[in-house]
Amino acid sequence: MKTINYVLTGLGGQGILFMTKVLATTALNKGYNILGAETHGMAQRGGSVVSHLRIGDARSSLIRAGAADFLLSMDESEAYRYLPYLKKGGKLFANASSQTFPDERIALYLKKNEIESRAMEAAKKAMELGSPRSTNLAMVAFYAAFGYGPLTADDLRATVDDMSPGPFKEKNLRIFDVCYETGRQMV
Amino acid sequence: MKQEFLLGNGAIALGLLEAGCQIMTSYPGTPSSEILPEVVRFSKAANLNTSIEWSINEKVAFDNAFAAAISGKRAACCMKMVGLNVAADSFMSAAYIGNIGGLVIISCDDPGPHSSQTEQDSRLMARIGKVPVLDPSSPEEAREMIKFAFDLSEEFQVPVMVRPAIRICHARQNIEYDVLENNLTKADFKREPTRWASTPKFRFLQHKALNEKHVKISEKFNTLTPFNMHNLEKKKSYPFGVVTGGVPSSVIQDMFEEYGRKDIPVLKLGAPYPFPEKLSSEFMDACDKVLVIEETDTLIEYLLRDKHKTLGRLSGHVPMEGELVPEKIEGIMNKALLDCGLPALSDFDCGLEAFNLVGGLELPIRKPTLCSGCPHRASFYSIRKALPKAIFPSDIGCYTLGSNLGVVDTVLDMGAGITMASGFWNAYIQDGVKKPIVATMGDSTFFHSGTTGLINAVYNNSRFILVILDNHITAMTGMQPAITQGDRVDGSKGNAIALETIVKGCGVNYIKVLDPFDTKNMIQTVKDAAQYVNDPDGGIAVIISRHPCVIGFKDEAIPEKIKVTITDKCDECGFCHTRFECPAMYQDKENQKTEINKVLCAECGVCLQICPRDAIERV
Ligand code: SF4
Ligand code: SF4
Repeated sequence: MKTINYVLTGLGGQGILFMTKVLATTALNKGYNILGAETHGMAQRGGSVVSHLRIGDARSSLIRAGAADFLLSMDESEAYRYLPYLKKGGKLFANASSQTFPDERIALYLKKNEIESRAMEAAKKAMELGSPRSTNLAMVAFYAAFGYGPLTADDLRATVDDMSPGPFKEKNLRIFDVCYETGRQMV
Repeated sequence: MKQEFLLGNGAIALGLLEAGCQIMTSYPGTPSSEILPEVVRFSKAANLNTSIEWSINEKVAFDNAFAAAISGKRAACCMKMVGLNVAADSFMSAAYIGNIGGLVIISCDDPGPHSSQTEQDSRLMARIGKVPVLDPSSPEEAREMIKFAFDLSEEFQVPVMVRPAIRICHARQNIEYDVLENNLTKADFKREPTRWASTPKFRFLQHKALNEKHVKISEKFNTLTPFNMHNLEKKKSYPFGVVTGGVPSSVIQDMFEEYGRKDIPVLKLGAPYPFPEKLSSEFMDACDKVLVIEETDTLIEYLLRDKHKTLGRLSGHVPMEGELVPEKIEGIMNKALLDCGLPALSDFDCGLEAFNLVGGLELPIRKPTLCSGCPHRASFYSIRKALPKAIFPSDIGCYTLGSNLGVVDTVLDMGAGITMASGFWNAYIQDGVKKPIVATMGDSTFFHSGTTGLINAVYNNSRFILVILDNHITAMTGMQPAITQGDRVDGSKGNAIALETIVKGCGVNYIKVLDPFDTKNMIQTVKDAAQYVNDPDGGIAVIISRHPCVIGFKDEAIPEKIKVTITDKCDECGFCHTRFECPAMYQDKENQKTEINKVLCAECGVCLQICPRDAIERV
């Protein structure tokens, strides 16, 4: 299999590592090899945080600029910051308002590079559903709705089900389902 | 067989236990910090009796491991690369003296740097200390190298270094492993003063013996597949080849595979020192030009003899500083290939267009900041309020971020908050100026390297205020337990040591303990301390600012949740979000009003005390 590259970004404290874990565990359960690169230390204190995830048989953990298949961002500015990592024809999913995203200066670049971009206000959704810290799950579900890549929505949902500790399970799955539906309506 | 999506540091931990490492010591520091907790996790799960400790600093960690190794046990110590500087005194002697049981030093490098004060290359330290070094290219290889390192260390009775760079430590990889077993070797120290306590005359002989070992190890490294290998075809010559090792070697392998470049041979040196002369000569002889791509400095490039053939940092092809991220390597490779008259890998612009486009968007600069509710913020606020004109030497930890609040003027190394405070005092007092100086230092840093400087300052009659920021934890590196609490890495209880006792023992007679959340009290205390410092009969004043870390101790840190709101007394001076810099406070882009982000707010209530207009109120 060709290596599939995910760049996941957001701000320190938004739960990027958990988001990575959901995707990685799903891939692992499907029998793929996985490699990832994480941010630890100083940058976690509120800085811009990025996590790379490669599904397939790559040797190096970092994704080259211009080589990511998917960019999932929990923050609008961070989505722009890591845009150079997306390859031609890559897909961008951002926690942002679909009214204003993407910025018009970026839209041209996206078009030229055949990058499909999708936005949902994931933080707002998570807040409305009573779990403001679950923006990460909201984004995974939103991405899953479009059915791109080797991980299906059912696979991802099953991982969330598995990984959520008892008291959070119901809430997490509800967030997943609602945000998945939001995505489905845009397909 | 079990399988896990393991952090590189977890793979290292696994390698250590699989190798039968019995004694493990460390001082935390990014990117090495997770190794020890992972050793604890695997060791507990398999019911091993590994001895594991957070040592007070890296030198102590090193000496502990060394003693175990000369008693015949397998021992390892791990640290970040700047930590090796602290252990350097012991490290430099260790290879001369040698060991009995395997001794492995894991020194984690931080090219970038992402979380360090330098980009130093531990392989160069290995070169100075004459310690053989291995440079893994993946978490899985790190695990294998550690096992090999122990065997090598025992075969030649020399310590061996494994140098994982940050992209190994903080990579993750799916890794399978089997049941772990106890190593039952018993401690058996054999007295031999001419070896273990040798005088300079014997050191000379030990040095000679070490050099002889190096010749043999270098020989071994010539055929050390798969750590050291090339893919030359017999009797073929090439216009261009690549010499690499460690993290860049995986990037290059991936890249050549992706672009289908079978015409470029690669010499991978995962065991670069003692230098495998024969293997590298073979490679150099077969190639007209070679490009050397290594992290972070020029070890291999210097050791390769024929400088006319080499491209690299010395020829200006490879940048002298910064991490060699994949797009950078692709750019370097393309240029080198074109310079040698060969087709490039691609016409990829290294993302330049996109990076420029994004650069033009003026995205918010996300500098790291202290967490919302962090007690350090309250301390820094009060210090600055009390003595705005002072010099503020500080130190290494989360609280380095106090620079954002204007209360961190200098950061040199662990412990320099105190030593530089006395240095500043001496520099000014020579001119007859009593310069106010307030040094800050965390509790862990104080234990690591603070006491010597403090004793020195008391002894030599320097004058300054030292604020020890005691948050009960080593926070920046991932919440390691603190000596003041007496908790050990495996969750067992050691003996707690009180800061007050140590400070008093250093000869300080003025010690105040306070909670920084009461800023009024802290401001007054700092002012009082300044008077004591200036008093002819005074001396050094120490304030222990004690409040648990909000991340490490959620409940204890904020016992009473205080919800706050901003009233219309606010005149948008911006003090709370730009100077006090609580990340939960911001000015809304649209309505230009200062607001509180309820998700980020820790409900500490400190901001009630700091607004110049009294516009923040409790709800
Ligand atoms: S410090 Fe007070 S007056 Fe100034 S912006 Fe903040 S809330 Fe408003
Ligand atoms: S209460 Fe005030 S100072 Fe404390 S976290 Fe919330 S906004 Fe920041």
